[in-house]
Amino acid sequence: MYAVITVDTDKCTGCRTCEIACSLHNYGECNPSRSRISVIRTQDGGLITTIPVVCQQCVKPLCLNMCPSEALSRDPKTNAVVVNEDRCLGCRTCVYVCPFGAPSVDPRLGVAQKCDLCGGEPTCVAVCPKKALSFVEAEDESLRRKRAGVRKYLDQLETAAG
Amino acid sequence: MNLYGGKILWIDLTSGAVTTQSTSDYAGMYVGGRGVNARIMYDNVGPATDPLGPENVLAFGAGPLSGTLFPGCSRTDIMSKSPVTNLLGNANVGGDWAAELKYAGYDHVVLRGRAESPVYISIRNEKVQLRDATELWGRTTYETHHAIHEELDDPEIKVLCIGPAGENQVTFATVHSNVGNAAARTGMGAVMGSKNVKALAVRGTKGVTVADPKAFFAACMEAHETVRGADYFEEISTIGAVRGEYAYVLSGIEAGGDAHETAPDFDPEGKTDYHAFWKKYGHKRTGCMGCPVHCMENYTMPEVGSTVLSCELYTQLTWEVRNDDMPLWFELILRCQEAGIDNTSMALTIQWLMELYEKGILDAGLTDGVPMEWGSREAISGVLESTVARTGFGHVVAQGMKATAEHLDARIPAERRGGVSTYDYAMQVNNNPMYGINPRMNSMALSYAIGRRSDCIQDLDMHQFDTVSAPVYPGWSEQERLEAIAHESELATALTGKADAGDPESYEGKAQIVHDMGVTTGIPDMAGSCKWHTKWLYLDLTPEHYAKALTAGLGRTVTAEDLLRASLRLRNVERALECTMGRRRENDTIPKKEFNKPVSRGHWKGRLGVDPEKFEGMKDEYYTLRGWDLETGVPTAATLHEYGLDDIAHDLAERGILPHWTGESVDAPVTGHDR
Repeated sequence: MYAVITVDTDKCTGCRTCEIACSLHNYGECNPSRSRISVIRTQDGGLITTIPVVCQQCVKPLCLNMCPSEALSRDPKTNAVVVNEDRCLGCRTCVYVCPFGAPSVDPRLGVAQKCDLCGGEPTCVAVCPKKALSFVEAEDESLRRKRAGVRKYLDQLETAAG
Repeated sequence: MNLYGGKILWIDLTSGAVTTQSTSDYAGMYVGGRGVNARIMYDNVGPATDPLGPENVLAFGAGPLSGTLFPGCSRTDIMSKSPVTNLLGNANVGGDWAAELKYAGYDHVVLRGRAESPVYISIRNEKVQLRDATELWGRTTYETHHAIHEELDDPEIKVLCIGPAGENQVTFATVHSNVGNAAARTGMGAVMGSKNVKALAVRGTKGVTVADPKAFFAACMEAHETVRGADYFEEISTIGAVRGEYAYVLSGIEAGGDAHETAPDFDPEGKTDYHAFWKKYGHKRTGCMGCPVHCMENYTMPEVGSTVLSCELYTQLTWEVRNDDMPLWFELILRCQEAGIDNTSMALTIQWLMELYEKGILDAGLTDGVPMEWGSREAISGVLESTVARTGFGHVVAQGMKATAEHLDARIPAERRGGVSTYDYAMQVNNNPMYGINPRMNSMALSYAIGRRSDCIQDLDMHQFDTVSAPVYPGWSEQERLEAIAHESELATALTGKADAGDPESYEGKAQIVHDMGVTTGIPDMAGSCKWHTKWLYLDLTPEHYAKALTAGLGRTVTAEDLLRASLRLRNVERALECTMGRRRENDTIPKKEFNKPVSRGHWKGRLGVDPEKFEGMKDEYYTLRGWDLETGVPTAATLHEYGLDDIAHDLAERGILPHWTGESVDAPVTGHDR
């Protein structure tokens, strides 16, 4: 059993509180460019979409598997993939292979940085004002999605019925 | 410099020179945002400044809490001499531009001069460029954001820009953020257009440092919890201001809608059902950076387009102009957003023309052949488009209500105007079209009259507002209505010590409430966050919340008292500056026709309406609370001294407007600024 950060894109309003809180928690400064979670905003004219992107702690993590210096490992307590900064070369292999671009190489530290689930209590989840981020048991995620889908369907039925 | 970007960026558009100044020159006394902007204005513009001339100065300011974890830390304060009022102009916009400016290492950007041809300003950390904007000129606000992202190949760039209305120097043009909201009032977009500046594009990768990260985190989260725990939070964060706006319309308190009592009755419960519109075309709730409230609705309508809106946008181009065609309304809103024009000023100007037409004063011959009939698509759309483009009659309207009135007066015989100027029919304060909030409520009349930048919004008395609108609040039971009124009355009495302070028909304690609200809302304006999070919108942040965050962030003690004092200082700087530009007690008023005129429809029919003598009494009380001279409304030497503004007292004395100045020197001038 382990938990992951999941994203409900319908709920996200794009406020980026998660980004500011992440950087403040991890680096003691408010700086979204150092945040390990990023809200990606796309806009088609005035039509706004905002989707938070954060490490999904993959079952088969390419970052961990491809790292040439074996700087990434699985934290047995949280199941998060974590960086051993002493071993990291700052070569960006993890950045390139990740399907989400979740890791980054911090220009100031010169080593890879990624979500470590804050040791099991993710700050971003705690601060999200819309509860668009959740920290849930991985095995529950699919069922939660199904339930959310059904709710949406029922809402649509209601709207259609006027 | 903890909590600050650290630098003020000065750009001389005429010479292309870019210089920086330390923010610490100002921050100690004026905190940031509107506070620092006001002092920059005092030092750089005056009575001789032409608002649309190169000598005008246009300042964009973030505050110490902008870009931090503090709730609603998104606001950019924009200040300049206004082409609408010819006094101090000021507007404030959310989004995430101010935060990005901080991340780039700046707190303010100040523009002066005029670029020879259209430019936009690109800021990426230390790299500041004036770039050719010839290709961007003529594009809509949304297109401009997109085009800049493409040109600089960076979709993370945050943009503030003007649309075609700003380029054409329509006096009430806006400055738009990429979220789609606007710094709408007093024509800041026109000033930007007059400088040939299309946009300010910012990208920053530095952080905002804080002295004590743990304590700062805790202080910010405490503020977040307070906002989320406030009574009004649930409503504003799920349906926004929709229901509130609805109530204001239903209670007949909308300024123009009710002011124009001969206009056709309008049933907002009929076609203009905002809830149905949201259900049908709502895409998502959105908002500004760092904001738990997300007060904006993002709509998309097939064949028309998409945009965000909130608050007053619901009532202006519907109720005020008697338009019940919701798809038309949405089209007009989108058009205002794209063109970068103030929806409030536009709607209230059209409404004025419609009243003149209805009264037989204005004929279609003077408005490009279009009859200004209530609710007419042709009339509303026609005036909007011609104003943006400055063609035909729109060229006149673009210059503002006063210039339009002069134009009409010269063409309409006096007897047809009822012997008065067409200007006397306009809902304006110092030429600034009024919000959709009725000046016939006592404290609202006072708010309009004394309001900085000649509008009421900073000093609203929400107690009276709600006592008046509660009787028709949609979905409330009789019990809930009575409870709401009792609650507001209690709060008003607690603040003022006057038993009648919550009674809309009383004049007791109103000046105190308006004074207090203005001082409180100055704090978020200086801090760079959103005033909606204070009691201004019942979201419960107090000066203590700001003080706690600033203390942890700066690493030195800042008290609520310090902030209230800074807010009062700020207001005196603004007031003194407006006085140098000619503002006096007699300018602090509402349209003459609004006195002694009860509400003509709705719950308050036959009641309210301000007595001019008692109105002057409220002003006396207000000036006394502020330390302004009762005769002239100019801040006294003692007041200016109290706030460390002796240099301003000196300046007023030299200009011969310092009250009761006998020619002897006032207290020793302050040299430089308190660091």
